[in-house]
Amino acid sequence: MTPPPRRWLRVLAALWRVNVSEELQYRVNFVTSLAGTLFSLATAWLTVSLFFRHASGIGGWTYWEVVVLLGVFTALSGVVEAVLRPGIGQLAEQVRSGDLDLVLVRPVDAQVLVSFRGIDIWRITDVAVGLVVIGYALVRLDRVPHLLEIAAFGVALAAATAVVYALWVALMSLAFWFVAVENLWVLFDAVFEGARYPVSAYPGALRVLFVYLVPVAWTTTIPAGALTGRFRPEIALASALAGAAAVLLARLLWRTAIRRYTGASG
Amino acid sequence: MSAGAWVRRYGGLIRAAWLVDLQYRAAIALWLVWGVTEPAIALGIWWGIAGAGEVGGFERADFARYFFGLALVNQLTIAWDSWYLDQWIREGDLNHRLARPMNPVHEAIADNVAYKIRGGTVVLLAWALFAALWPAVRLPFDPGRWALTLLAVILAAAMRFCISYTTGLAAFWTTRATALMQLHAGISLFLAGRIAPLALLPPAVVGVARYLWFPYTLAFPVDVLTGAAAAPAQLARGFAGQGVWLLLWYLAYRLAWSRGTRRYGAVGG
Repeated sequence: MTPPPRRWLRVLAALWRVNVSEELQYRVNFVTSLAGTLFSLATAWLTVSLFFRHASGIGGWTYWEVVVLLGVFTALSGVVEAVLRPGIGQLAEQVRSGDLDLVLVRPVDAQVLVSFRGIDIWRITDVAVGLVVIGYALVRLDRVPHLLEIAAFGVALAAATAVVYALWVALMSLAFWFVAVENLWVLFDAVFEGARYPVSAYPGALRVLFVYLVPVAWTTTIPAGALTGRFRPEIALASALAGAAAVLLARLLWRTAIRRYTGASG
Repeated sequence: MSAGAWVRRYGGLIRAAWLVDLQYRAAIALWLVWGVTEPAIALGIWWGIAGAGEVGGFERADFARYFFGLALVNQLTIAWDSWYLDQWIREGDLNHRLARPMNPVHEAIADNVAYKIRGGTVVLLAWALFAALWPAVRLPFDPGRWALTLLAVILAAAMRFCISYTTGLAAFWTTRATALMQLHAGISLFLAGRIAPLALLPPAVVGVARYLWFPYTLAFPVDVLTGAAAAPAQLARGFAGQGVWLLLWYLAYRLAWSRGTRRYGAVGG
């Protein structure tokens, strides 16, 4: 029996409160976390600049358009680091150690509890940093997006977050089949690298991989494209559908995977 | 101790490391996938930029050979030791390693040899497979150049090992040793040639990089392999750079180890 959503929302709120008050004891971590984010943003930005030293466009995108995309990438990475890695990213270890038993016996939906019980609040700032970069790049593009474009961007970004979440669930569910692989999350990091550049930038085999096989490149290309007017706002509808489908697929996969779990702690 | 005893010792250590790795082969395969993604994406972007022409003297096939070489050399020189040492020092795992009748560095070296033989073989096989289908990544048969590459790779591996190990030893003094390593990785994206061949960087940046150790850890061995560095003057300069920086990082390791363990002992009482 699945309890009403309101109950697991209360459970999550309580877990997050504990998490946040724990983390607030270590405020220096905020500074180092922000410094780390700014450093990786700087290296990514310099990389883009290096490409543009030798080209006027990447996959048909101009410099500041790619910087908008970099902002989207930074914001999405913030969600990954703040919520997904501390939550669903721990699944492989829980399966291996048998700690998952303790989750399954609780009267809350296991997927929700595993996915969202941990939060690294400092990394939420990455989302803000990403949005600032997007804003700055739009100023440099001399482009004020109209309301419909901003709405499309919001929907597309939410849908992209859903797709990224679904990807984590799909990859981490492999832990039920391959118990001994404790670094499964590395697969996500490898695949997510593909979201750094617009889909049109990838030739040949990479296009098959990042655009069709693991369609991760779309997660940054669509929100960035919607905001810069490269795509019509209607794209938000398609991406919302894709996001919903991804979450549904992830749910099905989770159900199939959890049936294989027999417990390890005995 | 005699040389024979050392050979037997290392033989045992490498065999043990090999068997441990065998247990974690799936995890190692994932690290490998992760390791080749970055050069693969960089190659993809440069491939698109080069189009039918050339960029700074590099055509598409040159980029392909460069980044295949980079993926291989990276696999053969990568060292994870800073992460291990940081954990051992913070959590006290170093204690039982210190109690053994042998400096823990020998076990770390043996681990690296076993790990690199496995990873390097996989990348080489993958390269051979690609080369069968894709002429752009074929290298001419040139045993002399391969021998020089082997030497450059061994020196680079020793250098990266010393850098990683010494940075890990920083955990004796700070809790942020791994952040130092990430900083190093970020800089090496550019100065070691991970994102682009050095020739494509702004000349001023290359001028600075030449006097640091970064180019000698990756870009130089790759250039020897692809034939970009073939003139005697270039080779001499590259090997000299590797030698000097290896020596300096080795001395840094010796200093960090002796100072650090003394300090660690004092803390442990």
